[in-house]
Amino acid sequence: MASLDRTARSFLLSELITGFALTLKYMFKPKVTVNYPYEKGPLSPRFRGEHALRRYPNGEERCIACKLCEAICPAQAITIEAEPRDDGSRRTTRYDIDMTKCIYCGFCQEACPVDAIVEGPNFEFSTETREELMYNKDKLLSNGDRWESLIAANLHSDAAYR
Amino acid sequence: MYADLINFFTTTWLGMALVMLAQCLAVTVPLLVAVAYMTYVDRKVWASIQLRRGPNVVGPFGLLQPFADGLKLVLKETIVPSSANGILFIIAPMIAFMTALVAWAVVPFDDGWVIADINVGILYLFAISSLGVYGIIIAGWASNSKYAFLGALRSAAQMVSYEVSIGFVLITVLLCVGSLNLSKVVLAQSGWFWNWFWLPLLPMFVIFFISALAETNRTPFDLPMSEAELVAGFHTEYSAMTFGLFFLGEYANMILLSALGAVLFLGGWQSPIPYAPFTLVPGVIWFALKIAFLLFIFSWTKGTLPRYRYDQLMRLGWKVFLPVSLGWVVLTAAVLTFGGWLPKP
Amino acid sequence: MPKVKIDGVEMEVPAGITVLQACELAGVEIPRFCYHDRLSIAGNCRMCLVEVKPGPPKPQASCALPVADKQEIFTQSPTVQKARKGVMEFLLINHPLDCPICDQGGECDLQDQAMAYGFDRSRYHENKRAVPDKELGPLVKTSMNRCIHCTRCIRFATEVAGVEELGATGRGESMEVTTYVEHALSTELSGNLVDLCPVGALTSKPYAFEARSWELTKTESVDVLDALGSNIRIDTRGAQVMRILPRLNDDVNEEWISDKTRHALDGLRHQRLDRPYVRIKGKLVETSWDQAFAAIAARLNGMDGSRIAAIVGDQCDAESMVALKDLVASLGSTNIDCRQDGARLDGPRGSYIFNPGVRGIDQADAILLIGTNPRAEAPVLNARIRKRYLHGKCPIASIGTVEDLTYPVERLGAGPATLRELVEGKLGFFEKLKGAKHPLIILGMGALAREDGAAVLAMAHELAGKLNAVRDDWNGFAVLHTAAARVGGLDLGMVPGEGGLDVDGILAGCEKREIEAVYLLAADEFDTSRLGKAFVIYQGHHGDAGAHRADVILPGAAYTEKPGIYVNTEGRVQIGRRAGYPPGDAREDWAILRALSERLGKALPYDTLHQIRARLVAVNKVFAAIDQQAPAAWGSFGKAGTTSDAPFKSTVPNFYMTCPISRASKTMADCMASRSQLMAAE
Repeated sequence: MASLDRTARSFLLSELITGFALTLKYMFKPKVTVNYPYEKGPLSPRFRGEHALRRYPNGEERCIACKLCEAICPAQAITIEAEPRDDGSRRTTRYDIDMTKCIYCGFCQEACPVDAIVEGPNFEFSTETREELMYNKDKLLSNGDRWESLIAANLHSDAAYR
Repeated sequence: MYADLINFFTTTWLGMALVMLAQCLAVTVPLLVAVAYMTYVDRKVWASIQLRRGPNVVGPFGLLQPFADGLKLVLKETIVPSSANGILFIIAPMIAFMTALVAWAVVPFDDGWVIADINVGILYLFAISSLGVYGIIIAGWASNSKYAFLGALRSAAQMVSYEVSIGFVLITVLLCVGSLNLSKVVLAQSGWFWNWFWLPLLPMFVIFFISALAETNRTPFDLPMSEAELVAGFHTEYSAMTFGLFFLGEYANMILLSALGAVLFLGGWQSPIPYAPFTLVPGVIWFALKIAFLLFIFSWTKGTLPRYRYDQLMRLGWKVFLPVSLGWVVLTAAVLTFGGWLPKP
Repeated sequence: MPKVKIDGVEMEVPAGITVLQACELAGVEIPRFCYHDRLSIAGNCRMCLVEVKPGPPKPQASCALPVADKQEIFTQSPTVQKARKGVMEFLLINHPLDCPICDQGGECDLQDQAMAYGFDRSRYHENKRAVPDKELGPLVKTSMNRCIHCTRCIRFATEVAGVEELGATGRGESMEVTTYVEHALSTELSGNLVDLCPVGALTSKPYAFEARSWELTKTESVDVLDALGSNIRIDTRGAQVMRILPRLNDDVNEEWISDKTRHALDGLRHQRLDRPYVRIKGKLVETSWDQAFAAIAARLNGMDGSRIAAIVGDQCDAESMVALKDLVASLGSTNIDCRQDGARLDGPRGSYIFNPGVRGIDQADAILLIGTNPRAEAPVLNARIRKRYLHGKCPIASIGTVEDLTYPVERLGAGPATLRELVEGKLGFFEKLKGAKHPLIILGMGALAREDGAAVLAMAHELAGKLNAVRDDWNGFAVLHTAAARVGGLDLGMVPGEGGLDVDGILAGCEKREIEAVYLLAADEFDTSRLGKAFVIYQGHHGDAGAHRADVILPGAAYTEKPGIYVNTEGRVQIGRRAGYPPGDAREDWAILRALSERLGKALPYDTLHQIRARLVAVNKVFAAIDQQAPAAWGSFGKAGTTSDAPFKSTVPNFYMTCPISRASKTMADCMASRSQLMAAE
């Protein structure tokens, strides 16, 4: 009897039909995806997006060229060169991030003792050429200036857990 | 004046050639547009099933997406692998594409709306669709790549297997109609929609549709180009417009087989209800709607079923469809003969 | 041999060592800051506390506690752990914890030990101590807030460098390490302070903020800026040499190197020859190797061998020298000389090396310096003599004009006449030498690189004989060279062959137009104006005197950029390794000579470094014994003759600039300026 039942089901393609019915039903359910360019999902304050070099409120750049980010970077995307500035302070003469190498692990901001290099909330920085993704210090500082308020707010909101 | 024109177009070589060209364009242009939008529909249907949105950025509701994709394919570089056989490598996609188009010559869009109303229409279609596999085999061989080669082998074996059962399906229809002319097949199904062959020959219709999936290398029978194992199979090495031609050919084939299905089982251009206002709708619209319905099932299938294993595919073809369709041919013939319903020639 | 129990393991240790050393022998590491093997014991950092039984019921500073029989030492007991944690917490009270901006970060003893024994937060809420930074000259940068008062720097300056200029003022929190009156340190070894400092209080000024220790590729090599052949580690980042550090070798430099060795490296970046040049219409024009070789071949082909000469520079590797020697020989010339300064040295090997070795200085019990100023010529060797002096019972005398050598020196006189008197036993110091078991005669280039050098050499030989300074168990005859390539050159026979001309003869020949072509292998230390109208080929790495005069320049590699064998003044054969590649089109020197030989139709029979090193061994067996100092052949040498009355003067009047590299170095220029300022102030 069971075999007859099974054969009948097989011949009547009942499994197929249930499957098709299911997918048909789902076809009319509301979409779960966000309509991306027009609406965006929420971002955690810990979101690791595009890098930025921050400044102190008085305009002095935070980075002290300790090179810890360069050392920790698992993708070796960061290149730093340093020398004493005219006032004797330790500063970078070059701070490059190869964004094509970067894996956005966030180790650099973890390593940074002065919260200078951060991964900001911006994730829309695609470019048309590879060259544009070789970020230099100017680019990173200007990112920092542009995103400072958001970055500062994010760091503040996350500070209690760090 | 009009007589002159009619004369020009019906008697002179030039005129007839122009008419033929116009007919070809009248078929291929809408067909290519249909192919383009088929990709769009495919993506929309799959997206819906997966609760996604599908293309919605290029143009209103993403309607220009197919053209953007087409433009992309045209603008990209055609790369011919250094170890490939250059000439065959280029010819293969052309063959695949052309065979998909050529078949349309015998498809009746409406009563008398057919480019070549030949008496062996079904046979012609059958022959042409068998030729399509050459494009794929050549592509697989000429690419000089193991993935492409394996894909081509699979494709060839698969097409050969399922053409057998399609053949029997066609024979069943042929028995019921008594003609190989596609227009006659349609006319044989006149009346209410339950008079169409899909109901009396329902198992054959199902077998036909499933075999059509296999013929067009669609899920769940897309083994020749399975991404996971063969990294796109026979067109692994193809890029830009050479790839585009395969893509177009594949979709044109899908539409062709849907059209064939509509002609053989869904009453071609006939309206489902043989009374006004349904009969007032032009036959070509009914025909298109029926094709669209079948194409939707194509997409729906792809969104629903996972891929077959290769041995399962072969088992299904040879050990299920072949005996079942053969049995149905015998059964149909017996019923027709002993019921006295054999069509008069 | 006392028996001690260290962490429960019983072992015998040599008598007279400290508990810390005993623990080290047992393989137990004791953390320490102030203790240093080569400095006196201070015992003021308290980091090395261990528990010792029998003893007082409190932890003791192991660095200052001698081992005793039946002692039980505990290095891991809870008391010790607690003591270490406590000491570390105290040390960190006033330490600024600015590791991210500190150059010591990554190679800092305090950082490492804080990781092991430190507490992750501070209980000290008062303000930290602030100390003004000191100015210690152009090489040492100070950040005195970081100082933990280990006094290693003070002890080094006082004991090793011999300049009692550093000290501590104040007590407790107001203690400061300072120079009392602010001035640069007047030592040639100040760079070692940076190595010694266990924290970042003293860091390297020229290297400030340039690189991190973990970014650097380390290559072990040999220094060529003086003839001592100090063992060094070259730290490179990418193609650039970032710093040079000493490598431990008790036979040569212990763990010190001179400031020139350490800081002349910025000279490697400036004035480099990175492309071949050819002089066209009086102007040097950039060209290709092919063109340069063509220009040489055009002049040399067909030229009579006797009209060709070669002068070898002071920093050449043995490989390039032997290649040049073979090339010149194949051209039919015997005019070749490696003694640019004209030193009259060509006798048996014993006559031109520092026979007792640097280690021999420790054994010597009377030292005579003839025409040498070791403080300028080889400061690390000078520190070794000072070390011998500090051990006591070693009279030191000098013939020649010497300044402050950091130890008292009896000045016998200035010139050959004094030496003659000494040889004849007329001076009191003769008896001291005679009475010594291990008399040491150090002969400098100041005595040999002069017209009467051979006569002086003969006198020194005679003196050695009279003192019985050359015996089976002791050879007290020592020549202190100033050029790193000299001993290697002499070992390879880079002296005029039969009928050949020495440097002076070559230059005279040039003036008389008897010599038409001169090949300078990185030779810059002679009067290039005497080259006259000769066709000059200069192969070297810096655009110095030789290159300015050259008609064809072939860019070679500096010592950090090629693998090479150097023989130091002791006759010790040492291998230098490549730390980077030469700039631009420049190539390794022996390879240039090999390529040129092929263009001249006299292809040299070696294509690989291996083959050319085999050739070195074929020329002189000493090249087979790497890093060994074997007894050298002794015999009669020198030529008795008349001597002039001119006083012996060191050939190194200025320690900081002796070669193309140091002349191109800005740091060395700064050092010179600082030193002359210091002199002026005095």
